[in-house]
Amino acid sequence: MALDESNKPFEHPVYSVLEQIPGGAIGLTTLDSLLTWGQRNSLWVFPMATSCCGIEFMAAACSRFDMDRIGSIARGTPRQCDVMVIAGTITVKMAPRVKKLWDQMPEPKWAIAMGSCAISGDFYRDIYSVVPGVDVFMPIDVYVPGCPPNPEALLEGMRALQQKIEAQRNGTWVEPVISADSHGLRAPGIPRVGSPSREDSVDEAQLASVQGMGLGGAEKRENE
Amino acid sequence: MASVADPRVKDLAIGGVRVPAALVRETWPDPYMDIEDYDPESDLMSLNMGPQHPSTHGVLRVKLFLDGEICVKCVPYLGYLHRGVEKLCEKLTYVQVPSVVDKNDYVSPMMNELAVCMSFEKLLGIEVPERALVMRTVIAELQRLSSHLLWVGTWGLDMGGAIGGGGSLFIHTFRERELFLDLFEELTGGRFHYNHHTPGGQRHDIPPGWEAQVHQVLNVLESRLIEYEDLCTDNHIFQARTVGVGVIDPVLAMELGVSGPVARASGIDHDLRRDAPYAAYDRVKVQVPVRQEGDCFARYMVRLAEMRESIRIVRCLIDDIPEGPICGAKMVKLPGSQKVKAKEFVYAYSAIESPRGELGTWVVGQPKSASAYRCKIRPPSYHLVSMLPYLCVGQMISDIVVVLGSLDPILGEVDR
Amino acid sequence: MIPDDARALFERLLEEKDPHPEIGPRVPCDQLLAVARALKEELEYRFFVYCAAAHFPAPKDAEEGTPAEILVAYRVRRLGPGTVTVPFHVRVPVDTASPSLASLYAGADWQEREQYDLVGALFEGHPDLRRIMMPEDWEGHPLRREYAIDTPHFPWR
Repeated sequence: MALDESNKPFEHPVYSVLEQIPGGAIGLTTLDSLLTWGQRNSLWVFPMATSCCGIEFMAAACSRFDMDRIGSIARGTPRQCDVMVIAGTITVKMAPRVKKLWDQMPEPKWAIAMGSCAISGDFYRDIYSVVPGVDVFMPIDVYVPGCPPNPEALLEGMRALQQKIEAQRNGTWVEPVISADSHGLRAPGIPRVGSPSREDSVDEAQLASVQGMGLGGAEKRENE
Repeated sequence: MASVADPRVKDLAIGGVRVPAALVRETWPDPYMDIEDYDPESDLMSLNMGPQHPSTHGVLRVKLFLDGEICVKCVPYLGYLHRGVEKLCEKLTYVQVPSVVDKNDYVSPMMNELAVCMSFEKLLGIEVPERALVMRTVIAELQRLSSHLLWVGTWGLDMGGAIGGGGSLFIHTFRERELFLDLFEELTGGRFHYNHHTPGGQRHDIPPGWEAQVHQVLNVLESRLIEYEDLCTDNHIFQARTVGVGVIDPVLAMELGVSGPVARASGIDHDLRRDAPYAAYDRVKVQVPVRQEGDCFARYMVRLAEMRESIRIVRCLIDDIPEGPICGAKMVKLPGSQKVKAKEFVYAYSAIESPRGELGTWVVGQPKSASAYRCKIRPPSYHLVSMLPYLCVGQMISDIVVVLGSLDPILGEVDR
Repeated sequence: MIPDDARALFERLLEEKDPHPEIGPRVPCDQLLAVARALKEELEYRFFVYCAAAHFPAPKDAEEGTPAEILVAYRVRRLGPGTVTVPFHVRVPVDTASPSLASLYAGADWQEREQYDLVGALFEGHPDLRRIMMPEDWEGHPLRREYAIDTPHFPWR
């Protein structure tokens, strides 16, 4: 979701050169479509696998449902990845870490919420220690439902993400509107990212909680 | 206790079993040692492993204090996956609980369901019919096979790295695991979380042709097990990384509550399937593999042997499943119909042998209530993780990864 | 069912002839360590199975002054062929500490920490009684009966 300016379609410095050459616009579109093709077909995945969906993610990466054939490999560090797949329940203790890892990923980046726990907290959503859905603190591009989703469903989700990336780069993407009205469904206690009823104080509190980890923060460097 | 320094003493009788004396230590590392006491001059580095790290054991955070490459103290932190399952079980009825505890040990889900259902049956006094007992045994052994397959694969991945050769073992074992997941999908409709066991029996009956499919899968697995042994057991690099690494003292294991293949690799000859049989295990003589070295290689050999034993048990039982009903309690239509009949609080505990050890459920039943009052799950992985402060001292970081993998903890059941 | 040798031990140490078959005899706090040590060293019950606590608030129709209690149930096992387990339990008023078995069984260490974290059972003599599942700064004990399951926790839920 394009929430801030840095998330718009990527522009390369070569574009401004090509624009000035007469007839260079054709080269521009070709270059752009080449870059789009390259980007959407080589999405390196950062698996934030906390629980059962992580096992299905691993199955999706293995030989029967091979994820490598769509260009995705799982990397262990967020710095090298384009897509973060949150597979599993995120608890209150884990949430600042997930947000920190999300913030560490370089732009452009996307996120897939895999499984009911990441989408809405599944049947754990009312429990004191579970975050009801990952989009309480980070923007999600594709939701893959299931408990756990079939690896084929995850591959379908990645395909949907590829189509979204292409549409975003082409300028044909229509951003879905998150309305403040929950249409009779129960909304989580903290408004979702992108919801009009979300206030800045929530964002600031979440960021403060992330920064509070580590030295001098909520977990002091104790010699225990 | 006889002196462990006496070389003529080969094994000691402790706790009901005989354990190899060579593994028993006089003292254990102190998990609460103060770092300042170690060496006030030296500059120890504190390294944080987790809670997100590529070794796929879940969200475990381990804080290591390192003197160069050697670990001096290790402090594990849990709770990153604490989903409050025990509190949720107090709200749900007895029938609804198995589908929730499925997600604890998410690698062999029907084990959790079985443990919980057995405790509820003890509590509520429900009889389980013959067919269900035999089916439970067959399914438990199939689950054990798929769990150990996943373990071998992810352990190889930990040791070799995704690109460094561990990936090949990973992909091989998952190929076999997919065959087992197909079997379960035929039976229950779900690849992964089944909601199959229920207090009183099970929900799904065996579809036609399932037995033949099981035989086919087991034949394939048997031939592939030989492949895995060729890949690993005589492999110099594998042996260099696992032989002599992470030796576990059997007395420590006993006191910590560690059972399962980890304990059996240290010489403890104990298996609930043979010693306290449940379901239909009294009909098959379970042969329990035990090794005396206590290191990671021994744990690997024990698990491979267990896989062979599971194949044998399934082959024994699969063709003679007795006819009859699959559920002793009336198939429950209304959630509140299974209630405690006694007038005061009742208690029950029953345990099964899961691929990680003794998995049990302690349940307190409230009179006239369809929900448990307190349902405590005794997860084997919790005790495995509690071994880390003792095991990691004196190991190098690369060895710690191998040791943690060889213990096979599943964080879903550690944190619940 | 409680095995005979444990039954004889309970009769000898606690004068308890008829212990509860599932949670064992109620052991007074001052004798807990002695009983556990006897079970471990004389009868070789060295495998620590569980330490589980349950919160029983004072019933609504009880008399004035009936305290809310915490039941702490233990179980130990002797391994090998014919394995048997022996349960025993302690009942203490809420916010009173019962003795910790961590000095006898290494497994009691983390189990008691978890019960302290979730139920609020206190253990005297435990080397490091602090939270293990919930974050360090969490307030309240989630598995108490009056704790609301959907307690919010700003800014994450």
